Amino acid sequence: MSTAEHRPHPTPRQYWMIAAFLAAVTAAEVAMYYIDQELELEFLNVAILLVLSAVKFMVVVGWFMHIRFEKPMISRFFTAGFALACGLYLVVLSAMGVVALRG
Amino acid sequence: MSDLAHDPGTTPHLEVEHHEEHESTGIENRKLGMWVFLSSEFLFFGALISNYLLYSNRGGYEGVYPAQVYDIPFTSVSSFVLLMSSLTMVLAHNALTRNDQNGARTWLFATAALGSVFLGGQVFEFTTFVVEHGLTLSTNPAASAFYVLTGFHGTHVAIGVIMLLSLWGISRRRGGLSEKQGLNVELVGLYWHFVDIIWIVIFTVVYLISSSP
Repeated sequence: MSTAEHRPHPTPRQYWMIAAFLAAVTAAEVAMYYIDQELELEFLNVAILLVLSAVKFMVVVGWFMHIRFEKPMISRFFTAGFALACGLYLVVLSAMGVVALRG
Repeated sequence: MSDLAHDPGTTPHLEVEHHEEHESTGIENRKLGMWVFLSSEFLFFGALISNYLLYSNRGGYEGVYPAQVYDIPFTSVSSFVLLMSSLTMVLAHNALTRNDQNGARTWLFATAALGSVFLGGQVFEFTTFVVEHGLTLSTNPAASAFYVLTGFHGTHVAIGVIMLLSLWGISRRRGGLSEKQGLNVELVGLYWHFVDIIWIVIFTVVYLISSSP
């Protein structure tokens, strides 16, 4: 058994706190959208939004999907699928000039 | 009725209570299968998101572009609703691990209800786009890419709602969920959270970033 399996799962109260955090990050994302409307931050806005999105993504996968508490094999499968998709489509979008256009 | 009774002094979880077939991995086959399936779904949604990004900034086509008609406040509320459905889903799973059958049933129904609200919002959004802005599936490639991407995501949500309501119906009819059905709750939960994380990406990349000035 791995160490991850021995970690105690969150309590309902902790789940509520995680959800509040996710809601706050979503609010921050929407706020960034409106700030960008005024200030036209361009690349900085994109970078901040992607970071905030990645934080939400990891929190949901880690705590709600319990990947932190699962066997490492599951984590490897999931990470591999995600990394493969990201890598593949980043290459495609770069080749088509989309990523550079937004940057 | 339930097989999930446990020593009240411990905090067991479904993962350790199942006695399903195990391979050498030590993970239930169906659970491992679900994780592999979800991993493969990244490629599916990645293709659709890339397709949208490819056409969303490409000019030269007639008609309105999706990014010109987004209602960000409305979609933000929809995103919040779907995000909170992940909370209710995990609370349903947590209630079941504590053998709280009523709690599990309530949270399962709440998750299905929030998913339905999200779907209703998507129908409203699509209707508004078509009726008020003339943005149809065939307006231009960007519109096609948008409808296919969000439509497929909506289809995933709809399938999730059907599975949740099925579990809720079984629990209601039989007075609780058995140990085997408990694993089903976990699998449906994984699927549901996956649908949520895909929307997290869509909301940021498709709505917020692509409609920035």
